[in-house]
Amino acid sequence: MTAHALLAVHGVLGVVSVLAVTRDAIFAVLSASRGEVVTAQGAAIGASSALRRLGWLGPASVVAQFAVGLALYPAYRVRVRALDFDRNAPLYSQLFDFKEHLAALSLALVVALAIASRGADADRDARWPLAAVAASAALLIWTVAILGVCVTARHAV
Amino acid sequence: MKPAATAGRSTERTAAAVFAAAAFAVFYLLPGALRLPVVFYDPLGRGFAIARALPSPWIRYYGDLLYATAAALFAFALGFRLTRNANLGTLTGAALSLVALDVLFYLSRLVASV
Repeated sequence: MTAHALLAVHGVLGVVSVLAVTRDAIFAVLSASRGEVVTAQGAAIGASSALRRLGWLGPASVVAQFAVGLALYPAYRVRVRALDFDRNAPLYSQLFDFKEHLAALSLALVVALAIASRGADADRDARWPLAAVAASAALLIWTVAILGVCVTARHAV
Repeated sequence: MKPAATAGRSTERTAAAVFAAAAFAVFYLLPGALRLPVVFYDPLGRGFAIARALPSPWIRYYGDLLYATAAALFAFALGFRLTRNANLGTLTGAALSLVALDVLFYLSRLVASV
């Protein structure tokens, strides 16, 4: 697969990641504060049950996006960073470095959340800590996505 | 399994996962900050090397990730034993503080370079 195709996949997975992790954060906070949410069909269900429905989507999309990013990274370092950013726009090199560090930290939080949220219904004491982890992960993912768009807008691979 | 036992097992798993995230944050930052030897990848020659620092375009990101992932896996396995009586709120607060510390460290490097 070419770098352009990988970048397109990376972008699509980025959108899915942002939406899925934001959804997880909203349900985690609702689970901690109210204990239940109302579905589109009008049924009240436990928010942590709602969190588990499609709960695999956040970690799966983040892990897949991260893996595609790792595959793209060598092409970025040679074609974009070495040939353009380091010579003409060093700020973008630094922005990209910052983004990659945030991406690694967000991956750790999302995977930790995925492991920890199994059985969250049974443990009420874990709800606020899980909500804090989910909200932090969502904040990091949003920042990564925005920085990614900024860097790609300047020079894609 | 009884509900109390299920909740206890869930708390242990949550604590271990949070402990692993904290370990990831610490061991992701340390190799770069302390210039520890890590695996570098050469995107031009497509080779690997272990060193403290190498010039661009050698990539140290993979090496840092390797350190942090190994530390997180080890911490997760250890976490079930170490965090048995830990307060989950305190543990999560500590883990998120370590993540925030990493973010501030990298943000300071970004600001310093501008």
